[in-house]
Amino acid sequence: MSKDEITIRDFCRRTGQLVELDPGHFLLLPPPYDKLDIQPKFTRLSEENRKKLESDLDGVSALKFPRPQNEDEKRVLVEKFLSGLKKLFDRQENWTFMQPLFLTMEFCAKCQTCAAACPIYNESGRLDIYRPTFRSDILRRLYKKYVKTGGQFFAKLSGNDIDASWTMIARLMELSYRCTVCRRCAQSCPIGVDNGLVTRELRKIFSQEMGITVEPLHAKGSVNQLRTGSSTGMSRTPFLDNVEFLEEEVEERTGMKFKWPMDKAGADILLIHNAGEFLAWPENPEAFAIILEAAGISYTLSSDLCAYDGVNYGVWYDDVQFAKVALQHAEVARRLGVKKIVIGECGHAHKALTVIADRVFTGEHNIPRESSMTLLHEIIKSGRLKLDASRNDDMTTTLHDPCNLVRLMGVVEPQREVLRAVSNRFREMEPHGVNNYCCGGGSGFAITKDLNFPDFRNQISSRTKLRQILDVFQDIIEPEHKKYVCAPCSNCKGAMRDMFAAYGLFERCNILYGGLVELVVNAMVDIDKPFIEWEWH
Amino acid sequence: MNALQLAGYVAVVFFAVSLAAKMIKIARMPIHIRWDLYPIPHEKRKGAYGGSYFEEVDWWTKPSNFSRLAEIKAMAAEILFVQSLFHHNRSLWYASFPFHFGLYCLVVFMALLLMGAILGAVGIDIASGSAGLVGPGVHYLTLVTGSAGWILGAIGAVGLLAARTFGNELRKASVRSDYFNLIFLLAIFVAGLVAWLTVDPGYTHMRGFVQYMITFQPAPALPGSVTALGWIVIALLFYSPFTHMTHMFGKYFTYHTVRWEDHPNIRGSKIEKAVTEALGYKLSWAAPHIKKGTWAEAATDWEKQGNE
Repeated sequence: MSKDEITIRDFCRRTGQLVELDPGHFLLLPPPYDKLDIQPKFTRLSEENRKKLESDLDGVSALKFPRPQNEDEKRVLVEKFLSGLKKLFDRQENWTFMQPLFLTMEFCAKCQTCAAACPIYNESGRLDIYRPTFRSDILRRLYKKYVKTGGQFFAKLSGNDIDASWTMIARLMELSYRCTVCRRCAQSCPIGVDNGLVTRELRKIFSQEMGITVEPLHAKGSVNQLRTGSSTGMSRTPFLDNVEFLEEEVEERTGMKFKWPMDKAGADILLIHNAGEFLAWPENPEAFAIILEAAGISYTLSSDLCAYDGVNYGVWYDDVQFAKVALQHAEVARRLGVKKIVIGECGHAHKALTVIADRVFTGEHNIPRESSMTLLHEIIKSGRLKLDASRNDDMTTTLHDPCNLVRLMGVVEPQREVLRAVSNRFREMEPHGVNNYCCGGGSGFAITKDLNFPDFRNQISSRTKLRQILDVFQDIIEPEHKKYVCAPCSNCKGAMRDMFAAYGLFERCNILYGGLVELVVNAMVDIDKPFIEWEWH
Repeated sequence: MNALQLAGYVAVVFFAVSLAAKMIKIARMPIHIRWDLYPIPHEKRKGAYGGSYFEEVDWWTKPSNFSRLAEIKAMAAEILFVQSLFHHNRSLWYASFPFHFGLYCLVVFMALLLMGAILGAVGIDIASGSAGLVGPGVHYLTLVTGSAGWILGAIGAVGLLAARTFGNELRKASVRSDYFNLIFLLAIFVAGLVAWLTVDPGYTHMRGFVQYMITFQPAPALPGSVTALGWIVIALLFYSPFTHMTHMFGKYFTYHTVRWEDHPNIRGSKIEKAVTEALGYKLSWAAPHIKKGTWAEAATDWEKQGNE
């Protein structure tokens, strides 16, 4: 065994930082990033933070969790972890995921087929700690030893024995934030075991039992959303001001003057965007408003708590927070009396409201939910918009498939049909559709920006997406060609924004990212000026 | 009755009961949150590229696209040919496919032994030269499935052991029990092969033993290699329910109740009833943001959340 190899035994017992991340070991990128000197540097945690924060996994800190000061603190943390572990396998405490988790614990054959499917493992240079089964094996061993009857005895007999020490749990805590839960691993598993789910369930122990969470997901995320109305912190009045400003901006850019429908009871559709769009990519909700206005769709936005922000970060770490936010969304739709909720360009909001919340909503809250991709497709098919795809001929386009929308929900073709209708120069990444690769920002990574976590995201978890983008445009990679990555998901755009900036993708290769609706409006013949402004924001 | 026969009864009952208990335990677990994973083959027309009913506007008003046939075809390809391994891990498939196909052959072989034993008990001779089609048919099918099973299984088990021993990722992920399980199964394949080649070329001893078992008659002593095979199989029946070796049964659930489970929750449906029941379950997660009580109470604890 090479000295670089890390076993589960090392993970549990070895002291100090297990792995040092070195860009020299990461997989080589295609041109023009095939030389290390033009790649971003990997920031090390300061000595002070290393001493202060738990970072003994790989020198990265997502959770910023302070090291316990003494053995008593460690003991309490271990006890809490074991208490949470037991709750994961209790039918009342974890009815939400007990069956899938139990199946994953019981039936993995450790064939490692999932390893080849995992972009983080592969891009890191195949670091053992990132292998999809690595964290699952640890959880499995803990489950067998501490949850199953006779576990202590059988653990020793089978060679699976590990002790629940704080050293191990602290590393496992960080390790649960080194997987984007894209579930490519599960898709490739011959047995149907789901290592992505293991990541999520581990996060649940830390959040639901120990109160340990990633700040942007919880305190600044779902808690903020339930308190102010949006994870961005934007409460009702600033939201309404924002919309008013965007109405004026639409008039300036397109000459179209109209009020955006707001809190309109009895509308057919409640449209929920990711609130981040209003602040970071306002052209996206603007484009939606233009399309829906031009198509004569009966819809409304809402300024009620949570209903102008489709995000639901609980989907990545906490069932209770998930349910609270999802029910708020449904409650607003119920009060407005809409026929359906349509979700804007946000992948996880799609999965949260349509798929996962389907086992939370009952009675009057069980209002039909639908993707904006299908609505857009229907509008395009109906011919209600006058479109000229040649208006997008100055750029070559490709489509990023958000995992939550595609692999985890099965919405594959509508967005392609729309894109084909508005872009003559559309080309697919490989692989695409349900076999896509994550943007690297999944499961909350895109909004986790503290300390050196963005380096992990930009250089490891987003690396395969960067590789795909470079590959698909390789023959026109020079900056004289305009290239557009269509990413119909706010979270994916967030990850791309940071990754593009870290690698200077716009300056060096003239590649821009954006949503789908912007391309549609750009192709509308009734609008004189190009809607897409070709500049880096 | 000899010890082998007695242990055989106990082992068969133990295996059946413990496997059934495990499967019933899984089946009785509460409804879980939807956790679909595409492609889902039963989506008519859309399954091939991974699409779902969510691609349709007002999907809840459209007729179901569920195709049982498409699902069965996908299941058959997966079960018989381990298709996902073929696509995602070809080098391991070269060992895994013969291993699993060998096991399937042996399952059919055992069913044929049982059938032959029942026919033998009612006076139908199972042999190449016996009258009619049934006797020779069962004889030759038993011969083919048994022999193919031992050979393919042994090849596969050796291949999997080699992969686990010399393959970098597999070796690192393996523990004692993984090797032990493979060696255990290899022992069965080899013992079966030896018994067939040395003392039981037409499987008359094995069929005869099964006949004594099902008629509850004391079985005479068997040749050494057949006896050895019998003991190893009995040991496996006691051991396997506690291991991941029962994944062929678990796979039903991982596919049908998790990744392919896309039934929508329609108002007034059984699903809605089950969700309502689950929302009434108690929770005691200790983090401060979680209100103790029922799931429904915790999920609507907006006021408290808003005041934090």
